[in-house]
Amino acid sequence: MSNFYVHFPVISVMGLFLAAFLVEIFGNKNKHVRYAISLIACLGAAAMTFYLIVPVFFRGEVISYWMGGWKPEGGYAFGIGYEIDGLGLFFGLLTALTFLMSVLFSRRYMERDGHLGHYYTLFLMLAGSVLGLVFTGDVFNLFIMIEIMTFASVALTAFRHGKHPEALEGAFKYLVLGSIGSSLFLLGVALLYLTTHTLNMAQIAALISSKGMQPTTLLAFGTMLAGLAVKSFVVPFHTPAADAYATAPASVSTLFSGMVNKAGIYGIIRLTYILFRTMDKESLMLLLSILGALTMFVGVTMALAQHDFKRLLAFHSISQIGYVLMAVGLGTNLGLYGGLFHAMNHTLFKGLLFLTAGAVYYATGTTNLDKLGGLAKRMPRTTACFLVGAFAISGIPPFNGFASKWIIYQAAYEKANLSGNFIYVIITVTALLVSVMTLASFIKVTGAVFFGQAPATLEKTKEVPFGMQLPMFIMSALCIACGLFYNQTIVYVVNPAVNAVTNPAKYVDTMMGEGYAFANGIGPQPTTFTSVSIWDPVFWLLLFVIVTCAVTLVAVSGARERGPVSLPEKTDSKHATFFGCEESLHSHVGGSDLFWGFKKDLKGYFKVMGNLHSGKTNDYALWVVIGVTLITLFTFVFLS
Amino acid sequence: MPDILARLLDVLVVALHVLIFPGLLFAAVGGLLLAGIDRKVLAHMQRRIGPPIVQPFYDFFKLMGKETIIPAAARPGIYKAAPIIGLVSLSLMMLFFPIFGHSAAFGGTADLIVILYLLTIPAVALIIGGSASGSPFAGVGISREMVVMLGYELPLVMVLLAVAKKVGGSALVFSLQGISDWQLTNGCLLFQWSMIPAALAFLLIIPAEVGTQPFDVAEAETEICEGPLIEYSGAPLAIFKLNTAIKMFVMTALFSVLFLGDINLGQYWLLGGLVLFVISAVLTILCMTFIHAFTARLKIEHLFKFYWTVVAGLALVSLVLVWFGL
Repeated sequence: MSNFYVHFPVISVMGLFLAAFLVEIFGNKNKHVRYAISLIACLGAAAMTFYLIVPVFFRGEVISYWMGGWKPEGGYAFGIGYEIDGLGLFFGLLTALTFLMSVLFSRRYMERDGHLGHYYTLFLMLAGSVLGLVFTGDVFNLFIMIEIMTFASVALTAFRHGKHPEALEGAFKYLVLGSIGSSLFLLGVALLYLTTHTLNMAQIAALISSKGMQPTTLLAFGTMLAGLAVKSFVVPFHTPAADAYATAPASVSTLFSGMVNKAGIYGIIRLTYILFRTMDKESLMLLLSILGALTMFVGVTMALAQHDFKRLLAFHSISQIGYVLMAVGLGTNLGLYGGLFHAMNHTLFKGLLFLTAGAVYYATGTTNLDKLGGLAKRMPRTTACFLVGAFAISGIPPFNGFASKWIIYQAAYEKANLSGNFIYVIITVTALLVSVMTLASFIKVTGAVFFGQAPATLEKTKEVPFGMQLPMFIMSALCIACGLFYNQTIVYVVNPAVNAVTNPAKYVDTMMGEGYAFANGIGPQPTTFTSVSIWDPVFWLLLFVIVTCAVTLVAVSGARERGPVSLPEKTDSKHATFFGCEESLHSHVGGSDLFWGFKKDLKGYFKVMGNLHSGKTNDYALWVVIGVTLITLFTFVFLS
Repeated sequence: MPDILARLLDVLVVALHVLIFPGLLFAAVGGLLLAGIDRKVLAHMQRRIGPPIVQPFYDFFKLMGKETIIPAAARPGIYKAAPIIGLVSLSLMMLFFPIFGHSAAFGGTADLIVILYLLTIPAVALIIGGSASGSPFAGVGISREMVVMLGYELPLVMVLLAVAKKVGGSALVFSLQGISDWQLTNGCLLFQWSMIPAALAFLLIIPAEVGTQPFDVAEAETEICEGPLIEYSGAPLAIFKLNTAIKMFVMTALFSVLFLGDINLGQYWLLGGLVLFVISAVLTILCMTFIHAFTARLKIEHLFKFYWTVVAGLALVSLVLVWFGL
């Protein structure tokens, strides 16, 4: 039993699916049984996934597993194979961490909802499907996992439709657009099978490499890329994300941003770097980088205009995925490091932010920024966690977002230098600007939700129970740790994933037998990690101590607070208070919108964006179709 | 044991850098003197006699001694911590400048990006402090401060990228140390004609970052009563005033490092600091006092448009020129 762990991937995926059915059978009556089954399945799957770090990351193995022992016969793979390389495990770890945190959070967060048996069934289906998606080595199996993922997501989006009717609308949009994406992917799979007569990804990679790109393969590439772009909510396919993330329960939004759109990104990386190996084409790099830059800019500007906490986070999620796609699309090593590191950080900080949004909803019953305020005094721990997440996503040193964004800026500018293409300079400027806008947007949320004065309705708000605080604390600790020890994180976690991406020969050989890759023209391309030094954490730790001392000194120092002053109840303009964060509910003074000057000068842009985000499913479907057509055309014109 | 002692000594040296030179004390004294010079020169331009140059020191110490009153609507912790956060990040900035003989205390490879982020923190501190004070005037003020920040950030990013490209050539240099080293051998960046638009853009960014007329929309005393600062009194107000003064010094010093190069006088590092201060004073008079003397305050939407068209345009010209190797 030297390599008993080869069974772990398949057991963890099957375990989650099995638990989904067990919850439905045994858990509908008793909430303890239901939760115990879910928790054990999630813990077990996460533990097995984390165990794989030892062989895959430390020893550099690629784990392969043939379902039912159907190994390749006569050079063709018939069976379904699971194959876990550094890239798959990297995303598997993100997935495992996300669903573990979310299931811990769900216990108290969902306690006031009915039909929880269905909730946990769908939850486990979603967790299992994403884990299966990143572990599978079979392209049709990948499609099936995408389908399960999409339908579980749709059903979970609509889970609170009783209390929030708009959840049904969000689910419907997700269903329509998600189905378009899945169908496109299926079309691509069919075309691939037509040309290569196999569904095994390793073999497809080898055969495409030896045969070269044919028109059918090109079409397959275009449709699959577009299908995965729909799944990762890249502009112009981002529209269902806003509704779905905003209306789903926060624990599910965490899953969406932590693993569902990561699954799309994983698919894009697998597709472009390994399956079709098209990342040597400058035109494809340009396409992915421009799509990424567009995604981050549109996402963040739309976020500036939002009035709902979770909807705002949803647009930020879109925007951050833009960073990842842009960096990965650069096609350079540094870009891969930055992109994958940022994908990981995004899972951490965005998961954390959605959990805090869930805590706010649990405590107050709303996520409307206009109705919230002054929660810092009443929910100090949630506020602290939120601030960590907000600083991290805005990229303020020494949090993790800074480290990955810095690598991304450097990668983008280096790419501009290498290729001599001015578009990459514009992309770099966009990336830096979007970061500032993210910061601005989070100042608005901080002001509107946690600081300022609490409306009378929120006077009695209490801190959420410990069961909900725990996952938030863990995520916050990880955000800080990955920022302070960014170098170790890159070397031990990101580096194996990058090595797997840049070395497809090993992926093919493990599955199809030694030498198969070389015979089909895929050579090894080992890479070494060129250390990027940003700062010396020791100095920053020292500074941190100094800052803390200074702040404590001031906080302790004797500033006199006034006793309770009875302010007049009526809304006399003299006593009007508002905090410049949301609409003029609190004041009659013009310009109370935090971004008024900004929006006024760019009103043309915001008008166009407002018209495009019409909320009509038909319009959104039209956008998807136009986007798909453009991407497919692009592949034919520039990649053939 | 000697290892630990050596390490302790290192830490002590860093602490001295942070607190005395070129950190907090040097920045504070320099900044307040600059503010005094600014006021004096402005007064002379307006045919007034003006206050003595050390007046900002008097103001600072007097405010420090005053009672601090915290409004009932405010969040005391944030309200008191906000100015400190701004002060810390500003005095940190000084440590990135290679002005004292050997090298910058935090001479990593990526100073420019760190500086970009550190520059936003004082503005954020002002916004957070203002929003914690709970006044409608502060509300208008922080909204404007936010838009000003978004306004100057775009040209600032482009200026920094242009400098990095110009200095680095094929290999990018993001470190201030690298930028000043390059200027030691190749002459000041200011005298490269392709960098002149970027330098002009940077000179226009300085007053917006510091918040002097005509770009003082966020504080606008005559209109919204100092906006975010309206409720502040006593020591926190003193520190906010100090922050504004240090910003003058930090921004002008950044200009001199980016476009004039290192002031490396070896062991006479104090003299180096003095030279830097003189350059800063000249720049302050040039880009803040002069403009202040003959302009009136802009509206916020005009300010934003100005920065995203004229100033960003200047920076873009440099970026394109540099891109084509000029």
